Amino acid sequence: MYIVKNALKNLSRSKGRNSLIGIIVFVIAVSACLGLSIRRASDQAKEEASAALQITAQISIDREQMMQSVQKNAAAGREQTFDRSGFRENFQQTQALTIEELLTYAEASTVQSFDYSLTASVNGSDSFEPVETTESEEEDEDDASDSEAGSTANAAETQPTSPNGRMTEQRGAELPQAPAEEKSKGGFRKGTMGTQGEFTLTGYSSDRAMTDFFNGVCTVTEGQMFAEGTEEYQCVISDELALYNNIDLASNCAITITNPNQEEESYTLTVVGIYHNSQSTVTSGGRMGGFSTSTDPANQIYLSYPALRSILDASQSVAVTETDEQSGSETTTALPGQTAGTYSFATVEDYETFTSEAYELGLSEAYTITSSDVSAYEESLLPLEHLNQMALYFLLVVLGIGAVILIVLNIFSVRERKYEVGVLTAIGMRKYKVSLQFLVETLLVTLLAIVLGAAAGGAASLPVTNSLLESQVEAQQTEEETNSQAFGRSIGGAPGQQAERKPQAAPSSAADHFSDRAGQYISQVDSAMDLTVLLQLLGIGLGLALLASTASIIFIMRYQPLKILANRD
Amino acid sequence: MELLKLENVCFSYGKTQVLDRISYTFENGKIYSIIGRSGAGKTTLLSLLSGLSLPSSGSIYYQERNLKKINPYQFRSRYVGVVFQNFNLLTRFTALENVLLSMDISGKKYPNKKRRAYELLEEVGLSRSEADRRVLKLSGGQQQRVAIARALSYEPDLILADEPTGNLDQETQNEILGILKKLAQQGKCVILVTHSPEVAQQSDEVYTLQNMCS
Repeated sequence: MYIVKNALKNLSRSKGRNSLIGIIVFVIAVSACLGLSIRRASDQAKEEASAALQITAQISIDREQMMQSVQKNAAAGREQTFDRSGFRENFQQTQALTIEELLTYAEASTVQSFDYSLTASVNGSDSFEPVETTESEEEDEDDASDSEAGSTANAAETQPTSPNGRMTEQRGAELPQAPAEEKSKGGFRKGTMGTQGEFTLTGYSSDRAMTDFFNGVCTVTEGQMFAEGTEEYQCVISDELALYNNIDLASNCAITITNPNQEEESYTLTVVGIYHNSQSTVTSGGRMGGFSTSTDPANQIYLSYPALRSILDASQSVAVTETDEQSGSETTTALPGQTAGTYSFATVEDYETFTSEAYELGLSEAYTITSSDVSAYEESLLPLEHLNQMALYFLLVVLGIGAVILIVLNIFSVRERKYEVGVLTAIGMRKYKVSLQFLVETLLVTLLAIVLGAAAGGAASLPVTNSLLESQVEAQQTEEETNSQAFGRSIGGAPGQQAERKPQAAPSSAADHFSDRAGQYISQVDSAMDLTVLLQLLGIGLGLALLASTASIIFIMRYQPLKILANRD
Repeated sequence: MELLKLENVCFSYGKTQVLDRISYTFENGKIYSIIGRSGAGKTTLLSLLSGLSLPSSGSIYYQERNLKKINPYQFRSRYVGVVFQNFNLLTRFTALENVLLSMDISGKKYPNKKRRAYELLEEVGLSRSEADRRVLKLSGGQQQRVAIARALSYEPDLILADEPTGNLDQETQNEILGILKKLAQQGKCVILVTHSPEVAQQSDEVYTLQNMCS
């Protein structure tokens, strides 16, 4: 107890020296507080962003890997050119995943939920035509199916570039690409994509899968959404399509669609709701409105998965199948469908675990798992990461310099107080107690300075953090703008390039949710200073005090009272 | 009663022999003087007696216990009170605080330490206001009194004083000697290191150190 009392007396009677130490520790504390607060705020913002993030992933064929494999084989065989036919053959041999397989991987422990959809391309009828924006297409309407015979179902969407830059391909289980010459007999080769229709029918497994309706892109403006999981042929269509075809829910709500491979095969759907797509005009704003009417958002027809499955099964049952005698290939008029699954995860870690878990559950190496959300999330954190890194370096430099200054000051201090040490030990005070007294003095000064520094640093941390973060965001945006100017458009893979990121065929899901913010970096944090920072600061203070005192303790332990007093005499 | 005993104590600084086979005995209730020329080893002997250093050979016994077997810090803080030639007080502390600190270091429990410290200072001739003054603001004589009070604060049986009257005027010298005599009368063993024949004359016994270098 007397050690603390002595320490306090010494502190109050050596104001100059202790003030100097206090000021230095104060500066260190303010700087460390800023550094720690920035890091803490950055971590919190990341956690919050991660918590708010809806992480979804898709499984698709790893086309890039396949191409590399073909290229490798070609190189081994000393061939100079890329083996296109080999690549196509490989590709056709790789079957797209069936819904059963997709469901198997959904059983992985990390998967929070699994939604899937089925997509088919159909034609309209005399009473139900697609929204078209070009005269020429309208004129050639009757020939549409023939002229586009070589195109593939959802061609524009079937070859996305995943966020990590890997080229991937998603497609239906029975839809490998077919050479154009094989698709002109009213049917198409079994296992190929079939004829491109005028509308895209999408059947959803659940309400949750219809993320366009969750994230505000689409809103039902009239009627209501079809019942979840219904097998009835009920659908919702866009307001533009309804207007174009004079569809009225009260009196004229039946629409007829036909099989583009077999015009006589038709199905009647009941329109139970009309929705508005806020991005319709943006996406289809060009004069061409896309290469095909089926890619126009206005021509998207939504229904339940069981209903569409039922249509495809019905089509399969009435399909005409022929076998080419020469090639032996089989053609069919059955409506082809394309299945896509979207896996949802609670955390980024779960997603990362899933990327290995799925392969353990039997997923072939020919497939890859991608998540545009995670990539967009990581991109949005770039300024924060930079700031975090900067704060860490700053903190280390401050602590390093601070520690050196404190150690030097303490050594000077103990040398200056050598006589005092001599007297205390000469009258019987043990050296460890003298050391303890010196340590207590340093700790008290340090703690006081840390408290004051924490208060000052805490007050300054939020504006400083936000200001630095803003600078980082500006620097990031300037870099992107420069790149965009050089290209005359936004750069592929850069934030904001959502079309590139969108998982093909997947019901847009969280990609849209995140792509909305992908172009916006986290540029503000709500709080920087908290208990964790305070505790860290306290830890730093204690560490510095101990480190600085260690030097003086070494000196004290080496001092011999007799020598000190004799030299003084 | 024999309190302290030196048996063939030798001490050297490197190759320089300072003390050679010293054998003295010190008893309670007596005042001793150790005299000798400058460089005879008086202060060295005092440092040996106070436990600040150990003899090169020979033994020192305190109450029949070899000093080597007693913790030097415990010895200095409880059993021996040393009045250094230069007082060796903590200058940033007051006279009272110096005495109190010494009591704290000894670890001995006193019901009212502060009161006892004031009383001790008063016994050696310092008023309350002087007791509350920082040591630096006291005169040499007053500092010497503080040093004596500090040495007495934890009631040691052995009092060592190195030139206790050096640099003091005659009146103060007499007062200090009076205090030391009084301590001897109270049963303490008082050992003075001095080169003053006047001081030595007032002692019960005088030991003379021979200069080894001469």
